[in-house]
Amino acid sequence: MTTVVSAAEEFVPPSAPDFWQPLVGEGAFALTRSMVVMVLVTIGLAVVMMMVTRRLAVVPGRGQFRLEGMYGLVRNSIGRDIIGSAHFKPYIPLLFTLFTLILVNNLMGIIPPIQFPTMSRIGFPLALALGVYVVYLVAGVRRRGIVGFLKNLVPSGLPWWVVPVVFVLELVTFLITRPVTLTLRLFGNMFAGHILLLLFALGGEYFLLHGGGLLTVISIPAFLMFFLFSAFEILISFLQAYVFILLASIYIAEVYADDH
Amino acid sequence: MAIDNAAGVLAAAESGEGGFWESTYPVIPHPGELIVGIISFAALYFIYKKYVVPRLETMLAERQKTIEGGIERAEAMQAEAKAALEQYRAQLAEARNEAAQIRDQARAEGQQILEEMRAQAREESERIVARGAEQIAASRQQVINELRGSIGALAVDLAGRVVGESLADDARRTGTVDRFLDELDGMSGSGAVAVPEGTR
Amino acid sequence: MLEGNLAIIGYGLSAIGPGVGIGLIFAAYVSGVARQPEVRGVLQTIAILGFVLCEQLAIFGIALAFVFS
Repeated sequence: MTTVVSAAEEFVPPSAPDFWQPLVGEGAFALTRSMVVMVLVTIGLAVVMMMVTRRLAVVPGRGQFRLEGMYGLVRNSIGRDIIGSAHFKPYIPLLFTLFTLILVNNLMGIIPPIQFPTMSRIGFPLALALGVYVVYLVAGVRRRGIVGFLKNLVPSGLPWWVVPVVFVLELVTFLITRPVTLTLRLFGNMFAGHILLLLFALGGEYFLLHGGGLLTVISIPAFLMFFLFSAFEILISFLQAYVFILLASIYIAEVYADDH
Repeated sequence: MAIDNAAGVLAAAESGEGGFWESTYPVIPHPGELIVGIISFAALYFIYKKYVVPRLETMLAERQKTIEGGIERAEAMQAEAKAALEQYRAQLAEARNEAAQIRDQARAEGQQILEEMRAQAREESERIVARGAEQIAASRQQVINELRGSIGALAVDLAGRVVGESLADDARRTGTVDRFLDELDGMSGSGAVAVPEGTR
Repeated sequence: MLEGNLAIIGYGLSAIGPGVGIGLIFAAYVSGVARQPEVRGVLQTIAILGFVLCEQLAIFGIALAFVFS
């Protein structure tokens, strides 16, 4: 962490390179801190989910009740209400995976021993967005065929000269804008949120250790803001997970909408 | 270490100071991370699809069934209770009906018994009256027979006496007849009324 | 001495638009819920969707700010 090292002389604000934390190796395939967090979260989620769902009772216990609350949110208020009760069943695993994976990974940005939001490395949100992308494209093509899928991009009843423009715009939306915005939103929120936290933490530390005099006192509100934004990050974590599957299900629902 | 442009990025990558991945734009995905992300996402998706979601769905379906079963059972119970109430009501009406019938029957029977007894009493009284009449008739016959037997002797006796007096005078004659008649009166007290009727 | 980057100022400017937009969305959401509290669930989803589409611009801004810094 170059920032901390150089903080001795002069305050260097946190920036993008702080998120590059290779543990083993160098270059494109180095084992980074975020990879470790991601793998740990995946294994932890898998183990917990398998254990909780191994013995499911009709009358739920405490653990099962919480899981059911989360599952009910994903299944009913997002899957069923947005995709529609006729088609939502096959997409529940996807939505539930996305929701739990994003939520826990985001929370890892605040939970003390780890404190690194996996999703602030763009590779991971991109991987999730690619999953959604493949699913809604495949679902669309499978439902209407490639020609029907392309035809369905343009709403009927437009004057003939608008059709090519709308077609190109819609195609770009489908193929590029949607996955990119999905990725960037999650990445940007986590990245910016973590930078903000870093800024308060490092700034507070700098004022405390190197400020001298009155500036030392400023470190108190800085640390206070750190705690405040940590709490705010919890809200953001949840909201981003919710929004990600909300958008994913809206994209999937469009496949089943009969008119554009 | 602030890098101003892309050329700087490349220069830093070439010089090896921090490496390309440290100083590049944060929006360029790191291939290793992308691969790890895809693999863990796919693995978790597989686990959820294969185990977690089917289990949850089975449980939800089961719960739905249990709730529906409970409703059904409650409905059945209610129907049963209704049926029991109906049956009870029907039984009550039947019992009431039966009681009325029994009362009617009893009344009719009483009437009949009364009639029978009345008829019996009438019969009895008639029988008694008939027997009385018979007895009277028998005793009258007896008296008549007795009188028939003795009246001849009496008449002869009377005639002898009348002749014996030799008809001395009228006064004596009437006295004799009167005496005879008195004698007759004294002989049979009660039969005195019937005798003159039968004999005349 | 302050050191900075023009890209960050650009980001600050670009955040104005989404800020106003998000404010408008939640103002409409609040008044909608106040008028008809029973449709809160539906409005919430729509409001969050609008918020997300608006916020997306600010997120683009922050990503591009780091790209051009």
